[in-house]
Amino acid sequence: MFLAWREIKYSKTRFALIIGVVILIAYLVFFLTGLAYGLAQENRMSIDKWDSDGIVLADESNLNINMSMFPKEQIDDIEASEKASLGVASSVVQPADESDEESKINVTFFGIDKEEFIFPEVVEGEEFESNREVIADISLREEEGIEIGDELSLAGMDLTVEIVGFTENAKFSVGPVLYTNHPTYQEIRASGFGEREEEIISAIVVRSDSEELADVETNSEDLNVYSTSEFISNLPGYTAQVLTFGLMIGFLVLIAAMIIGIFIYVLTLQKSSMLGVMKAQGISSSYIAKSVIGQTFLLSFIGVFTGLGLTLLTGLLLPATVPYQNNFIFLASITSLLIIVAVAGAFFSVRTVVNIDPLEAID
Amino acid sequence: MKLIELKDVKKTFQDGRKTIEALKPTNFSVEEGEFVAVIGPSGSGKSTFLTIIGGLQTPTEGNVFIREDKFSELDEKERAKKRFDEIGFILQASNLIPFLTVKDQLKLVNKIEKSKLDEDKVQNLLSELGIDHLMDKYPSDLSGGEKQRAAIARAMYHNPAVILADEPTASLDTDRAFEVVEILARETKKEKKATIMVTHDERLTDYCDAVYTMKDGVLTKNQKK
Ligand SMILES: Nc1ncnc2c1ncn2[C@@H]1O[C@H](COP(=O)(O)OP(=O)(O)OP(=O)(O)O)[C@@H](O)[C@H]1O
Ligand SMILES: [Mg+2]
Repeated sequence: MFLAWREIKYSKTRFALIIGVVILIAYLVFFLTGLAYGLAQENRMSIDKWDSDGIVLADESNLNINMSMFPKEQIDDIEASEKASLGVASSVVQPADESDEESKINVTFFGIDKEEFIFPEVVEGEEFESNREVIADISLREEEGIEIGDELSLAGMDLTVEIVGFTENAKFSVGPVLYTNHPTYQEIRASGFGEREEEIISAIVVRSDSEELADVETNSEDLNVYSTSEFISNLPGYTAQVLTFGLMIGFLVLIAAMIIGIFIYVLTLQKSSMLGVMKAQGISSSYIAKSVIGQTFLLSFIGVFTGLGLTLLTGLLLPATVPYQNNFIFLASITSLLIIVAVAGAFFSVRTVVNIDPLEAID
Repeated sequence: MKLIELKDVKKTFQDGRKTIEALKPTNFSVEEGEFVAVIGPSGSGKSTFLTIIGGLQTPTEGNVFIREDKFSELDEKERAKKRFDEIGFILQASNLIPFLTVKDQLKLVNKIEKSKLDEDKVQNLLSELGIDHLMDKYPSDLSGGEKQRAAIARAMYHNPAVILADEPTASLDTDRAFEVVEILARETKKEKKATIMVTHDERLTDYCDAVYTMKDGVLTKNQKK
């Protein structure tokens, strides 16, 4: 580290530029990770909130909850350690006293039973007591300025609901969720289908006590049970989106390794006559190689942590509508991955160091 | 005591089908406190001779001894270690590390040995060489003569048995060259080193105890004038 530090201190501009490039790459990687994670979360947050093991959907729905519907009473046939009925309907709402296009919000209604386990924890306001009352995701207040007591009208329907409480982390398909009771859900769902006698739901969310949902039994030809993770990866667009971001981040990490590796390689080549002199003086290849690796570690450490700091700062300054979210496990693993990969890139140069012939120092 | 000794050392290079005898079989030794010069025309084998002594290449035949230890048969790694401990190189162009101050050049030796920097030793050595006021300067801020003095300090610092200098004065004007060689001669005597200096300039040999001439790979001792 002695040589590594002294050299960095001596050639400040050169190393500042290299660190600058590392900072930018790290910043980009961290920021993309935050966005990817945030977006993925907005797809699945409300599902994670259930803390469930599986979900029962209509067989012909092809794992698409929007296409799944069956009579509510079928819940009685299902065997599982815990179960909860769920009706899902996407809709467009708007504050009742406004009418312009701007104020329209895409939401998903979750029709649920107050006694069942998927009922959300209310962080502000009250639980719903009667029909046409809803608990909304807190983002409605943060992004749209909607408060408790506000009325929302449903687009294309003669129906308004009242916000009675807020909950956190309730997003589905990148939009807020509004929780309501089953009778209200039936009203929302039935629009366009005409009145129906029986209550219809979309899914039954289950918890299980055994591995791979072995104890869950649907007792019906028309219903199928899927694990929660399978359900999530089949959310429309979810897997494609996660893969796209994952690939981008993976490539960026590789590119970072290559850029740092090339920088260090060029620096080593530039120094080769000096390194030859050092070897002639009997300084071992391993000491020189260690100092090259140590220097790469210092550069990437400084660069990556500065990039991380900048990302966290940006995260604080971003408006709430940007789906950016920090996940400390991801940030920590990408931090170490970037540093490890950068140091691995420096191993290119070790070969050069070993191959330098001290004889070249003479003459 | 013979600090350095060559017994029947020979070096040949294979150049296509031709064999070049860069160094004919040579016997040679340098005593403690002895300052030896090697002169000779270009391409005669002076550098080859010096680098074999320094263990930068191995002889084709024969053996090199340092403090009566066989040196030339060690493997590359052990030779590097021995070189670090027992040999100080002073090269034509400065062999200083550009991003270290004069003091840090010496400190590097301590870092590699994992020992502590001896402030007094540094101070004494540098003032002996007349560059103690330049301790915190980088090589790029030194004149040619000052650089070579710093290189001498670097070579002397860890107390090697042998000092090898390949044209140490090539980049200096005559006055500076004489100064540097004088210092080298003085330190050799005082610190009881065996010093071998390769040079083109015969006038510089006035300070030497013995002068050898290299011609076509044959080393012969000159008669004292
Ligand atoms: N690695 C090598 N391969 C082939 N031939 C070599 C090699 N090294 C040296 N020689 C040859 O050995 C001879 C002696 O070279 P050397 O470098 O020792 O000369 P020198 O006396 O130091 O010359 P100068 O005064 O120009 O530095 C030359 O003919 C050179 O071409
Ligand atoms: Mg030469």
